[in-house]
Amino acid sequence: MALAPTSAYVHVPFCRHRCGYCNFTVSVSADSQAEMYLLALQQELNCIDDIYPVDTLFFGGGTPTHLTVAQLEQLFQTVYERFPPRADAEITIEANPEDIDPNVCNVLKEWGVNRVSLGVQSFSPNKLRQLERYHTAATVDRAVKNLRGFCDNLSLDLIFGAPQETVPEWQRDVESALLRDPQHLSTYGLTYERGTTFWGRRLRGDLPTNDESMERQMFETSIDMLQLRGWNHYEVSNFSQPGFLCRHNQVYWRGEEYFAVGPGAARYVNTQRETNHRSTSTYIKRILSGVSAVQESERLSESERLRERIVLRLRMMEGIPIAKFESQFDCQLATVLGSTLEEFQRRGWWEICDGHLRLTREGLMISDALWPYVLAPQT
Amino acid sequence: MTAMELKYIRNFCIIAHIDHGKSTLADRLLEFTGTVDKRQMKEQVLDDMELERARGITIKARSVAMKYTYKGQEYELNLIDTPGHVDFHYEVSRSFSCCEGALLLVDAFQGVEAQTVANAYAAMEHDLLIVPVINKIDLLHARPDEVLVEMEQSLAIDPADVVRASAKSGIGIEELLSAVIERIPPPTGDVDAPLQAMIFDSHYDSFRGAITYVRMMTGQVRLGQKIRMLRSNKTYEVVELGQFVPQRKPCTVLHAGQVGYLICNIKSLDEVHIGETVGDIREGVSTPLPGYQQPKRMVYCGLYPSDGQDFDELRDALNKLSINDPSFEFQPESSEALGFGFRCGFLGLLHMEIVQQRLEQESDIDLVQTAPNVTYEVLTRSGETIDIHRPQEVPDAGDIEEFRQPIVKVNLVLPTEYIGAAMKLCQDRRGSLTKTEYLSPTRAMLSYHLPLAEVIYDLHDKLKSVTRGFGTMDYEVIGYEPADLVRLDMLVNGNKVDALAIICDRRDADRRGRAVVKKLKAEIERHMFEIAVQAAIGSRVIARETVPAMRKNVTAKCYGGDITRKRKLWAKQREGKKRMKSIGQVDIPQKAFMAVLETGETK
Ligand SMILES: Nc1nc2c(ncn2[C@@H]2O[C@H](COP(=O)(O)OP(=O)(O)OP(=O)(O)O)[C@@H](O)[C@H]2O)c(=O)[nH]1
Ligand code: SF4
Ligand SMILES: [Mg+2]
Repeated sequence: MALAPTSAYVHVPFCRHRCGYCNFTVSVSADSQAEMYLLALQQELNCIDDIYPVDTLFFGGGTPTHLTVAQLEQLFQTVYERFPPRADAEITIEANPEDIDPNVCNVLKEWGVNRVSLGVQSFSPNKLRQLERYHTAATVDRAVKNLRGFCDNLSLDLIFGAPQETVPEWQRDVESALLRDPQHLSTYGLTYERGTTFWGRRLRGDLPTNDESMERQMFETSIDMLQLRGWNHYEVSNFSQPGFLCRHNQVYWRGEEYFAVGPGAARYVNTQRETNHRSTSTYIKRILSGVSAVQESERLSESERLRERIVLRLRMMEGIPIAKFESQFDCQLATVLGSTLEEFQRRGWWEICDGHLRLTREGLMISDALWPYVLAPQT
Repeated sequence: MTAMELKYIRNFCIIAHIDHGKSTLADRLLEFTGTVDKRQMKEQVLDDMELERARGITIKARSVAMKYTYKGQEYELNLIDTPGHVDFHYEVSRSFSCCEGALLLVDAFQGVEAQTVANAYAAMEHDLLIVPVINKIDLLHARPDEVLVEMEQSLAIDPADVVRASAKSGIGIEELLSAVIERIPPPTGDVDAPLQAMIFDSHYDSFRGAITYVRMMTGQVRLGQKIRMLRSNKTYEVVELGQFVPQRKPCTVLHAGQVGYLICNIKSLDEVHIGETVGDIREGVSTPLPGYQQPKRMVYCGLYPSDGQDFDELRDALNKLSINDPSFEFQPESSEALGFGFRCGFLGLLHMEIVQQRLEQESDIDLVQTAPNVTYEVLTRSGETIDIHRPQEVPDAGDIEEFRQPIVKVNLVLPTEYIGAAMKLCQDRRGSLTKTEYLSPTRAMLSYHLPLAEVIYDLHDKLKSVTRGFGTMDYEVIGYEPADLVRLDMLVNGNKVDALAIICDRRDADRRGRAVVKKLKAEIERHMFEIAVQAAIGSRVIARETVPAMRKNVTAKCYGGDITRKRKLWAKQREGKKRMKSIGQVDIPQKAFMAVLETGETK
């Protein structure tokens, strides 16, 4: 049997309010639910058969920092019992700039959190309003200052392609982010998802949207700007200063396994992918009445696992180290990919370079259109 | 049964222009005669097909037997409600063979319209006695006196014969029933002669098999009797017979003069033929009736099963539907772009739409339809004349001696103030005016000869718009005439797409070509590569558009919780497109096959 995972994800489904573009598993205004949630989480953790020390631990959401200080303590306490972090573990928490005060920082520090991912999104007042975010650049600065007290691995999230945003505006946002001297940046093109208010507004036509070329220009601009300054563009949306790649997320992208708890949390354990029920109240109800919270689960075939892994790894800019990959998974890329391997090379969508198969810039830009050919083999 | 009793039967249909109130009048007659009770009455009770109710029009003719006591004598009145739209004229003409008379309805506000004239003439040609009715006299803007003049002028109807009625408020119903009895002749036909009955309609019931609707001409038929279909020469036993009231009501005997139905355990769809004669079981005893003339199909299009559906399912569905609607035809065909399907012929665009919807509703089939076109004729250099049902069949230009298109005579009936606008419309479509006739001081009828292709797609809509809804039209094919026609091919990334070719007048080719490629560009989604869409005559490209390659299509977030959903989504994109076999192949969406109807005219 394969080794047990050494990574865990904890989903904390609470936010101050729901942002117009967000379709994550979050509850707003249900503060009383937090206590029940913690109880359920405890219960879910108790059901895991053993104690698993972890190398990476990720508290995501939602906004975990929306919990009170006492609740945060309880959260760490509960989780660490089941997933005790090893000495050099990476412990990340997602935070909303509005929540970061010295008290919160004390708790984070005390519990060994050593990486904070801050939901900045933008520094422009206009764009923040568009995105329905209520903090300002000053809020961010205060949060950064507080976090710096204990954390030397800070990541900022930025969004591009907000309604009416221009390329220069986006460049200014990237510059502004760099001025805060983070170790890591994630940049996400705004997408419209079912079940968000933005989706409805766009359907009604009262949300101006950017065209594809403009979005691409923004995406490319940020890649170029950051690379020029020596940043490592290591995954579609992620950039780091040398040595500060997010270890936890790389577990996902290498197709490795991980634990996960909380509403809507997805785990990959023992070749099985499972997702918990997305509704926080259903999650609580099920767990507390002793029923599993799993809503979907699938066990992948060997070949599905392989193909999925290829896609995920190609989304990392380093690409696939061919020889290593082939021996590790006992396969031949040329066989798995068939004529697609050459066809995509010929069309300039991917290339083989230094023993790695990796996407070209063009391939990256349209990569979603490539994956169907990788996941379903040529006939 | 004696000839005496035939005296107490009347068979008639209700005919009119669309929406003049035929089905509503039928409601009143059913109600007044107590055939349907008030509680079960609803508006246009005979329009019981889902599509009829949804669209508020009659699609199928329906027959009903009513009992009515007049001057102390009970009569059997067999009524047939007919559709008014020109595309369903075949339904009307088949019902004529069951009737001795017709109620001709004219809307008291709309007046005489194109289908009024067409249906009235058709009824007269069948020797039916016409009872003229002005309906909707309750309308605030009713103008019955002017309408009377129009009827007199256009149809030589004696104003004294006209019954004034309102199907909505029930005015004039009793008077109408007495006119039916007093004026329409009873059926003739020898009850003691050998059996001869005409199948004028049928439908398929999954339990009982084919249910055939008959008009008894001579003789009689009883429950349990053995009969012979004279054309197919097959024999059956009658397991049920009866009349529609309006639902099926079994009885034990039907005799000459009556209208009813027979159920003979016919399970095989290809054994039922509308127009067939039911005769005596003994061979050679009954003589076959002439049957019906096949209607002329005006438009053809390809119907293909959409992704994941079966050619055989589609064939079964077409067979089943054709029992109830003999007016469309279908033949297997194949297309490089769409695979195996059928080329189907229809009486008009509405008919085409209705057939497609009935297939989808009644047989739960999902269809891809190609753009409709008319049938052309080509005289080849070798002296052969071939029918062209689809553009792919047009021979190379070098082999064509003469290219001919169907010409129709179009009658437009409209208020005189719109004559100018209507004439411009027809001239733009290369029509030639053959006659102008005034039906009254304010109404005129224009007759034009026009290419069918110019008429069928949108002339009706355009006429409505230039006459503020008051103009109506009717058309019939008069023959083929040579024209300067070309086949316009559409190329997608250099490959000819057979199902996208069109035939048009050479003078329109540039405009059409530009319009179609523009529309195709809008319909085809961006691919990973650039796509050239071209229109060409032979090897000469006359229009080109480019669908640019996609610029950005990349999922930003693919974390632990996103992986499963994304993988499924990506994998499905490939499976869904069973026709997208390899990279570089263009996925042409189903909607794009209608793009070729784009005319490029300014709207
Ligand atoms: N005011 C008024 N409206 C009427 C009268 N008769 C029918 N209508 C209305 O006219 C419309 C068309 O009536 P239908 O009975 O469906 O007409 P139809 O001739 O059967 O139509 P098709 O079968 O589609 O040709 C409906 O909205 C009726 O309510 C009438 O006597 N007076
Ligand atoms: S803060 Fe983040 S998780 Fe919460 S609603 Fe906004 S975008 Fe969604
Ligand atoms: Mg009707």
